[in-house]
Amino acid sequence: MNLLKELLNILFSLRTTLWLLGFSLILLFAGAFIMPVHTEFQALHATPLFKWIQMQPLNITWWLWGLIGILAALTVNTLLCSIESIISKRKVTQWLLLISPQIIHAGFLFVLLAHLLSGIGASQGMAAAGEGSVVKLSGEDTVLMVREINMNYDSYGYLTDWDVSVEYLSDGNVLHRDVIRPNQPSTRMGFNINVKDLRPYPVEAVLLQINREPGALWALIGGILFTLGIVTLILLKIRMEK
Amino acid sequence: MWILALSFGTYLFALWKRPLLYVGLVLQVAYIFSRGAELGRLPLVGPHDTLIFLSASMAAFAVAFGYALKDRSLFLNPVAIIAALFTAFAMTTPQQNSPLPPILKTFWFECHVVLAFMSYALFGIAAVFGGVYLKDRQNAFEGLGYRAVLIGYCLFTLSMIFGGIWAYLAWGTYWIWTPKELWTSILFAYYSFYLHARLRQWWTGRPMAVLGIAGFAITMFTYLGVSLLMKSSHSF
Repeated sequence: MNLLKELLNILFSLRTTLWLLGFSLILLFAGAFIMPVHTEFQALHATPLFKWIQMQPLNITWWLWGLIGILAALTVNTLLCSIESIISKRKVTQWLLLISPQIIHAGFLFVLLAHLLSGIGASQGMAAAGEGSVVKLSGEDTVLMVREINMNYDSYGYLTDWDVSVEYLSDGNVLHRDVIRPNQPSTRMGFNINVKDLRPYPVEAVLLQINREPGALWALIGGILFTLGIVTLILLKIRMEK
Repeated sequence: MWILALSFGTYLFALWKRPLLYVGLVLQVAYIFSRGAELGRLPLVGPHDTLIFLSASMAAFAVAFGYALKDRSLFLNPVAIIAALFTAFAMTTPQQNSPLPPILKTFWFECHVVLAFMSYALFGIAAVFGGVYLKDRQNAFEGLGYRAVLIGYCLFTLSMIFGGIWAYLAWGTYWIWTPKELWTSILFAYYSFYLHARLRQWWTGRPMAVLGIAGFAITMFTYLGVSLLMKSSHSF
């Protein structure tokens, strides 16, 4: 019982938060020097983190394993500290001041959830395609056909704009038509399809990038919550000082 | 380029005549606007333009924070030196005058970069406050350093959110495993540590000042070191 109490005390503590953040910094520093010198990390763009990490040798992934463990502990610590803070300070008059750090924490947890979901289920595929090419979307009956590629150049030969018309086909029937533009991907059936590269010669062709990013929405929610929390906190602090 | 040389000189002479800091800032703002008008876009691509923006941002934030101080020279002098150094470094790097690739012509990119450099400038201001606190031990300096970090952290977070949205729209993913992203995470974790540490009595005062100074060293490596030395989505 005493051991459990001690463990809870540790998990509820701000000192633990600092230790965990400190350890995560050490691991991130280590990773920052390991990652650039090992080409294995390039495959991480196309493979979900949790699948990739199991296939790689421990001498290049130990810091990532450590980081995952630290972040798991930080999640528990954040949750418990937030709950404890709300309970212990529930009678304060300035509830916005009480709640805004917890909104920041919630945002942080949503971002972690996003990375967890992406780490499990993200995928990335590439396909070179010309006009009339058909690309099979993994796990779907639907195929993607590139209808038209347009590239605009200025007088100096710089690419100024482009667009790629695509069609989603099933059994030869057009289900949906879309146009991919810079920063305007085609999103359908959980896929995010964008153009990574374009080639004007000998025939116009594009390199399509087909992503599945299950954590994207959660990352956005987390980011919005984080921002709301921190902006509120700053505004309240400014008002208090006035 | 003569405007830059002039702003470099005025920042240095601001050590003796403080109003020259304002003159240097005005000159740099004029330079940024003239570059923007010449290029027809936000001039924030490559080390030349970003260093000028960083220098001007630091000077602008220093002017704003300076109003909270009775004796400003202790704080404004180091800022003037840093602003002059950034300006001198910018003058040695080539301008990038080519049109932006279509993928960079977006509101998300512009917000991402502007907010990132404004946050870097605020982390720089916090480092200066840390330095002057170590010299003079006035609590006001430490408190102002904390405020600079808090606002900088907010802008930095916003910059990362805008960057994530842009990356998702441009490349289909909000996170890319490159050294820049990793160093950005280090910076985020570092300043998260800073803000949490300040809640504990033990860390207030000298340790916070030291953390503020070390934070700016990490900021500078994230900005210049990674972009110049490592292959990344943010390479110069």
